[in-house]
Amino acid sequence: MSAQVETKRAKRQAAGPYGKVGQILNELDDRLGVAKGGRTFLDKIFPDHWSFMLGEIALYSFVVLLLTGIFLTLYYIPSSAITTYHGSYLPLVGQKMSEAYASSVNLSFAVRGGLLMRQMHHWACDIFVGAIIVHMGRVFFTGAFRKPRELNWTIGTTLLVLAIAEGFLGYSLPDDLVSGTGIRIAYSIILSLPVVGTYIAFFLFGGNFPGAAIIPRFFIIHVLIIPLILLGLVGAHLFLLVRQKHTQFPGKGRTENNVVGSPMFPVFMAKTTGFLFVVGGMIALLGAFAQINPIWQFGFYDAARISYAVQPDFYMGFLDGALRIWPAWEFAAFGHTIPLEVTLPTVVLPGILFTLVYAWPAIERKFTGDNELHNLLDRPINRPKRTAAGATVLAFLSILFIASSTDVIANFFKVSLNSVLWDMRILTILVPLITYPVTYKICRELQGFEGAGKRKTTNVVTRTADGEYVAVPAPVYVDDAHHELDALPIPTFVVDEPAATVSSGVRRAER
Amino acid sequence: MSEHDQRTPVAITGLAADDPHLQPAARRPELVEQVIAVLFVAGIILCLGFGVAYWQNWAPWTLGATMGGGLSLMGIGLIAWGKYLMPRGPFVEERHTLANSEEDRNAFAAAIVERGGSVIKRRKFLGGLLGTGVGIFSVVAAFPLVRSLGPMPKGTLFHTDWKKGSYLVDITGRRVNVSDLAIGSIVTVFPEGKQDTDNGQAVDQTVLIRLSNQDYTTKKGRETWAPQGYVAYSKLCTHLGCPVGLYEQELELLVCPCHQSMFNVANGAMPTFGPAPRPLPQLPLMVDSMGYLQSQSDFTEPVGPGFWERHS
Amino acid sequence: MKLRHAPLVLVAVAITAGPLVLFASGASAKEGAHTSSQTITAYQTNRKNAGTPNSSTVTRDPKTGAITSYGNSAITYNVPSAALNALGQSLYLQNCASCHGVNANGVPADGTAGAYPNLVGLGAATVDFWISSGRMPAADPRSVQAERKVPRLTDAQATAIAGWVNSLSPAYPGIPSPNLAGGSVAQGAALFALNCAACHTIEGAGDALAADTYAPSLRNIPAYQVVEAIRTGPGNMPRFTGNLSDYQVRNIVKFVTSDIQHPRNPGGLGLGGLGPVAEGFVGLLLGVGLLALAGYWVGERE
Repeated sequence: MSAQVETKRAKRQAAGPYGKVGQILNELDDRLGVAKGGRTFLDKIFPDHWSFMLGEIALYSFVVLLLTGIFLTLYYIPSSAITTYHGSYLPLVGQKMSEAYASSVNLSFAVRGGLLMRQMHHWACDIFVGAIIVHMGRVFFTGAFRKPRELNWTIGTTLLVLAIAEGFLGYSLPDDLVSGTGIRIAYSIILSLPVVGTYIAFFLFGGNFPGAAIIPRFFIIHVLIIPLILLGLVGAHLFLLVRQKHTQFPGKGRTENNVVGSPMFPVFMAKTTGFLFVVGGMIALLGAFAQINPIWQFGFYDAARISYAVQPDFYMGFLDGALRIWPAWEFAAFGHTIPLEVTLPTVVLPGILFTLVYAWPAIERKFTGDNELHNLLDRPINRPKRTAAGATVLAFLSILFIASSTDVIANFFKVSLNSVLWDMRILTILVPLITYPVTYKICRELQGFEGAGKRKTTNVVTRTADGEYVAVPAPVYVDDAHHELDALPIPTFVVDEPAATVSSGVRRAER
Repeated sequence: MSEHDQRTPVAITGLAADDPHLQPAARRPELVEQVIAVLFVAGIILCLGFGVAYWQNWAPWTLGATMGGGLSLMGIGLIAWGKYLMPRGPFVEERHTLANSEEDRNAFAAAIVERGGSVIKRRKFLGGLLGTGVGIFSVVAAFPLVRSLGPMPKGTLFHTDWKKGSYLVDITGRRVNVSDLAIGSIVTVFPEGKQDTDNGQAVDQTVLIRLSNQDYTTKKGRETWAPQGYVAYSKLCTHLGCPVGLYEQELELLVCPCHQSMFNVANGAMPTFGPAPRPLPQLPLMVDSMGYLQSQSDFTEPVGPGFWERHS
Repeated sequence: MKLRHAPLVLVAVAITAGPLVLFASGASAKEGAHTSSQTITAYQTNRKNAGTPNSSTVTRDPKTGAITSYGNSAITYNVPSAALNALGQSLYLQNCASCHGVNANGVPADGTAGAYPNLVGLGAATVDFWISSGRMPAADPRSVQAERKVPRLTDAQATAIAGWVNSLSPAYPGIPSPNLAGGSVAQGAALFALNCAACHTIEGAGDALAADTYAPSLRNIPAYQVVEAIRTGPGNMPRFTGNLSDYQVRNIVKFVTSDIQHPRNPGGLGLGGLGPVAEGFVGLLLGVGLLALAGYWVGERE
């Protein structure tokens, strides 16, 4: 045999110790220089805790939104031009309606898989916003927004605002009776802004309500502008997460200067890809079995028509509830009108709330005087004030959300609608007032409770000179560089005789 | 403490092949592998089922059920693979301080402050002009983005299409006669010719209600506005513009379905409950010789929700 | 008299004043020739096809000349025959007189005028609606709005009582019988959206109205009762008379009995027809909740 013929072994040896794959990677490294960074990336450690999966639910439902959304854009017609429906849904046949509505009904009945895609898209949106809120809650209650992650908190809050706006725009696109009423309300809210309201409303809508411009404009904002911003911000959010590394709960071997968990490759990639499938599968199952937004039943939007029992999607519910309970205050003097019953609940209230959320890292820094880096998380009960504050805001928003269903509540419980509304007004003030001290107290109680959470305290048993056994809890495991700002004093060993006698005959040490 | 927590975390590099950290988490990996295989096979069948359901045009729920079930099973299998069959760890990696060294930070700051400072200090006037130019450009660049979007409001919000002598017609265009409605009836009306137009439906929409003569409270200046117990009010709620179509004839109450503002129809549509701040504007009515209803004039105030330029 | 009696007083006044007003405005003059000596109180308006007789479609009793039925291809209205009056009166005295009075004028035995609605001059359809939907006899006469419940009296008994009450002062409309074979569901849907959805919701689920009143669900109502309710305006429901023709009412009924009562729901479970509120609960509790549980399994190490 000639020495020129390449044997299999020779080929294998030429390829290097890692075979074909190694060769390809080498070629990539020649061009992109990825070897070192790639290895570091694959070695990245992700801490394991179930609450760290919540952000992934949001991320993967966003992926589902993008994929199903692309499908929908291929069939939806973003136009208010009038057309006549000639499809299979009898109550609409022969009726004149906008192209947007007709194409949405056709998507539901005439396009194979269209109804599933529409429903998956809408369910994914609800899950997206819901997961963002829950994820934000986790970040807040564990203090993961502290230095160096304040920027990520800001990006995340912006993502929430954009997601809510995107959802509103999206469900308004089919131009049905329910969402069209929401657009009318939005128009009136813009109109109510002092000085500039009428101008902004006329510019945005191309004139008086409804006009023909708003559907195409909503479409382009929903399909292009906001998704681009979302993609950019999500990318920045993940980049910061990778660069700063994920936070972790305190525990064995976990310090401020390391991360303990599973490696990116293969464990984390497997679990997260599996989770992507599960999220997608769950959304598909919801889209199959739970009907959402049946626009054909609502009928097309007509400015003279209205349905009762109309609420916006849940993430806008707090605004609707605030509008319902607000007293009829209107400022009308000096030739001008400011409808306070509109501007206060829909502009000022969310403005204050979101400013509070954006500013929270700065607020907490100011109040605690804590300017250090934190990579270890707090257990919520160890920060009673922060936990109580967060619970109060959530309680307030929940009451407002419930207030958006006053008519449904009155109908279900068979009570007067007027009294339900008054009850909601009272609850909106009472419930947050009660939530703060109750949450605070629960946190403090749990702090002092033996064996709370996973932290187990040991008891040191000593025998006194008289032969009695006394059990005393050992010092609490201090796992943070900072002392707990609100913690109970750490008990010391008991040296003297206990003074109190309990009738059961068992002596207990005083704490 | 779980067994997992009891193992000391180690770095992932440089471990021996039989290191306990690299072993699968499952006590019986072969059994787990079989279970995962079953999950995957079931997932494959369901995914194929999606293809069949689509091709055969089965009911929509089958499409979602097959896709959802297939994806979920594959996902559960993959997660189980990662959790139970892959290296169980725990592994640790050091966080490197994000902040750079003192010298690097100083060099960075020096580059900006000293170099930039020397430029600006010596050319302050130019810098000021540049800033002004960029500022002005950003403002004027916004003009086409904002102003070209729509017309100026001017007086549009102050008028509707109702005029002196406009006939009241229903949605089909049929004129309403005084003998048409019984007491306790309500019908949505528009000015004749406008019932099919955008503006007609959005702005001109009006409710016509027949009250008993004895129920109607005459407000000063409106004595001729309600002939034979017929009252007409703008259908646009003064809160946020929803059509106030909900009429309770015994209570003589118009209730807005959006946020439950309640208007007393017999007393000039005064709001008696809820967030609406102003009564519904009333349309002055008259009856022609044949008994058809007409409006005496336009509404005497702007209809719909409040806005800055509204006088009262 | 207490404040809570005020709405009932208003109803009584409206109902007694209504026919008088219509009578005064010359309604009876446009009725078309008939040989009956009874003056029919025009409770409804006289617009053609508005629940009142159109002269070309009237059937009369050959002996007395009284109208027994009238209508058109969309709805036929039947006036209960006088032969049922005796039965009707005895059933009335057993079931209704304790509140509505022996003479059906709303004056019960203790003599309190206006305590309960005056039934005279309301027409057969009104009485038939309240009894056949089970609302009357009322379970609690003091409640603000009587609820639909399983009817205590059969349809035939309801017709008899309605016929007797109507005979005291005959008025329109008669008991309707809609013809659902023809007509347009699409027109019915459009009319429903404009006229009915504001109270009953666009899906016909019903909802709470002001004070303790409510618009009932339309899921369980038979076709003829829908016509009766539209034409007579029971309770707080407005009366739709001259502004809706019989053809339009028939189309609404066709829509209600098909797509409201049997929605297609191709997307899966209807979630009660409550819209985004129910969807939000399902999305958050079921969607995010179950996924969070799945996340628990993914994250935790045993």
